[in-house]
Amino acid sequence: MSLPTRAAHRTFVFDRHARRKLFSHGIAVLSGLTVIAVLYPLVSIVYEAFALGGSVIFQPGFLTSVPPNACSSLSCNTVGIGPDVQGTLIVVAMAAGISIPVGVMAAIFASEYRAKGVGRAISFTADVLTGVPSIICGAFVYGYFVVYYPQIAYSFYTGSFALSAIMIPIIVRTTEEALRVVPNATREAALALGISKWKATLRIVLVAALPGVATGVLLAIMRASGEAAPLLFTLLGSNIWFQGFNKEGAAMPLLIYFFALSPYPNQVKVAWGATLFLLSLILIVNVVSRLLIHRMRVRMGGV
Amino acid sequence: MNGETDPLADTGRPRGYDLEIRDLKKRAVEMGEWAFAMFRDGWRAFNTGNLAAAQTVLDRDTELDRLDEDMEHAAIAFLVLRQPTAGDLRTATGLLKITTHLDRIGRLGFDMARITTSGPGKEPNDLRDVLQRMDSATEVMVREALDALGKDRTDLARDLFRKDDEIDHLHRQANRIILRELRGKSSDTARLAGDLLVARHFERIADNACKVAEKTIYALTGQRRSEYLPRHAFKPYVLEPAPTGGESPSD
Amino acid sequence: MNPIKLRTEHLTAFYGEKPAISEVKLDFPERAVSAIIGPSGCGKSTLIRCLNRMHETVARARVEGQVLLDNEDIYQLDPVRVRRRIGMVFQKPNPFVTMSIYNNVSAALRFNGRPSREETDRTVVRSLQQAALWDEVKDRVDAPAVSLSGGQQQRLCIARALAAEPEVLLMDEPCSALDPIATAKIEELVGKLKDEYTVVIVTHNMQQAARVADYTAFMYLGKLIEFGPTEELFERPKDTLTEAYITGRFG
Repeated sequence: MSLPTRAAHRTFVFDRHARRKLFSHGIAVLSGLTVIAVLYPLVSIVYEAFALGGSVIFQPGFLTSVPPNACSSLSCNTVGIGPDVQGTLIVVAMAAGISIPVGVMAAIFASEYRAKGVGRAISFTADVLTGVPSIICGAFVYGYFVVYYPQIAYSFYTGSFALSAIMIPIIVRTTEEALRVVPNATREAALALGISKWKATLRIVLVAALPGVATGVLLAIMRASGEAAPLLFTLLGSNIWFQGFNKEGAAMPLLIYFFALSPYPNQVKVAWGATLFLLSLILIVNVVSRLLIHRMRVRMGGV
Repeated sequence: MNGETDPLADTGRPRGYDLEIRDLKKRAVEMGEWAFAMFRDGWRAFNTGNLAAAQTVLDRDTELDRLDEDMEHAAIAFLVLRQPTAGDLRTATGLLKITTHLDRIGRLGFDMARITTSGPGKEPNDLRDVLQRMDSATEVMVREALDALGKDRTDLARDLFRKDDEIDHLHRQANRIILRELRGKSSDTARLAGDLLVARHFERIADNACKVAEKTIYALTGQRRSEYLPRHAFKPYVLEPAPTGGESPSD
Repeated sequence: MNPIKLRTEHLTAFYGEKPAISEVKLDFPERAVSAIIGPSGCGKSTLIRCLNRMHETVARARVEGQVLLDNEDIYQLDPVRVRRRIGMVFQKPNPFVTMSIYNNVSAALRFNGRPSREETDRTVVRSLQQAALWDEVKDRVDAPAVSLSGGQQQRLCIARALAAEPEVLLMDEPCSALDPIATAKIEELVGKLKDEYTVVIVTHNMQQAARVADYTAFMYLGKLIEFGPTEELFERPKDTLTEAYITGRFG
């Protein structure tokens, strides 16, 4: 009487097997759906930006002219964002010039001289600060520098301070992480050769961590270039070309903010053009940098 | 040890290792008993002139060889597989050398049986007496050497070296009597020749027993002979015949 | 015995409040190989790391006592200078992964002054020859260090340490991460190094200590139990604890 039992056994196994497969496929499908859900906003933003700003961005003079004035007629000017591109580049470069050395040094201190409690304090503080809303960074710089140092009240200086307040914690955290990944054996090997600790840290450990540090710096720069809030009451914004480091300036996020709220359609169009441009810039910088960093890793011995 | 586990109490070593050392010891002792028996029976056969008894001793030769070979195999295997150090190393190498000397002792008993002739001998009483004393002394030495080996008794081992001097003295006495008899007329020269050899065999057996004791002390303590025995200064001695005093046994 | 190159007096090292080694007194003769053996946790790695002041690079680590190099206490000198005179090779090969073979070996030179290209070349070649690696890498000195096998990487680390021209070379279980053939190569290398350098090697492999070292120290629970010529220690150790360890009764 083995036939019925064998069939029953077979069905049972088939059920279990089939159920497992079904479950596995189900999860795969669900994962795919979540990916789509996550990508959708990004894709739709890019799409919208293209749709609404595409016509504007490729006009001649878009990057070389000043923003247009308010205009109600139908044939209004829709160029350009020149000063804003210039302003963003300047203020971000200044902020990087402050944040990179300060951030990297702080991270080195936190990671390599950990024994002193200060190291742990730095690490903890940086961690907390990465979560601080960017507008508060701007408010802090406003409350201290803008109010007490009127000569640089609304300027590239205070603007770069505000962006640094955002960039430094990011750089500290990522650099610290990159340093931690460098195996301790490397440090020990350097010390055992009679190389002083600071030389070993800067010229061997940091160099080994360079790809990670570069990635962190890239992250910080991209974040800073897109922030409007901290610049609102520091750099302030303007519609004219660079007037001086101690004067107000333009920046793309500010332009987008002001013009998007404008009742004049031509300015709104410009805002979309700026959005598309900023997005593309960030994307390109991202891709190119990651490629270079990858090449760096490979050249360093496939770590 | 401050409440920590006494490392000597915790035997982390595989049991096989300890069993192998014990086995080596057992083999050596077994071979020693075999050789000792060959020695006792060989002497008895010669002394009483019993050819049948002599034959049994001669037949035990192959077994002695087998014990020696097996011991060698076991010791080499132990050295190669366990790579012993310190006490265990000394034990293994010491036992290897000891079995060589035990083999010699057995062989000398064999040699005594080999020169057995029918019927008891007609040597003078004083010679017989000397040989008797050599026999008892040597028997005690071999017995003590085997006990020292089997029971790890360095005290018994150290005891032996004194007795060796006694054997030397008796050996010389025996030689002198034999020389005297050989110069005389009415003697059983065949028997005397046998006695001469046997006296020498006793001396050799005693010497090998000393070597066994020496190696036993080395295995247990690491001391070499020069560390506890003063060097004997030997000189050739002039053999002169003993004074007359012995008589042939009346039969 | 050669004159003493490196010695310790009342050497005690702490991790926080706990002493990892206490009151260690050792004399390492020059141009000889000294091994340190002992069970895990006995403090042998801590000890060797005190000899070139690497122990203190760990958080909350502390050293008491003296370590004298040519009768100068290294704890009164600049640690960076000390580590140039006393080099170290670690358990797991740790070449600088971002550097080529050439740059690894020349690291000590490049970071401590700017010698000429010819001088650096010469030092690199000589060090690689001393480490028995030159023949295998001579046509690819600019290849990344990580392209070498484990055994080659360890020899690279030895070459790197030698390039700094130390007087003493410390080796912390240099072969434990390597296969038997690589191990044999390095053991042979150590035998040659002692012509020019004083070598101290920590090993958990007793046969290695027996093969490679002129002198051996046995440590247990942070204390030095015994130190002496290797042959003596392995044939006739003075301390029962030493004997128990090397015959495998514990550890």
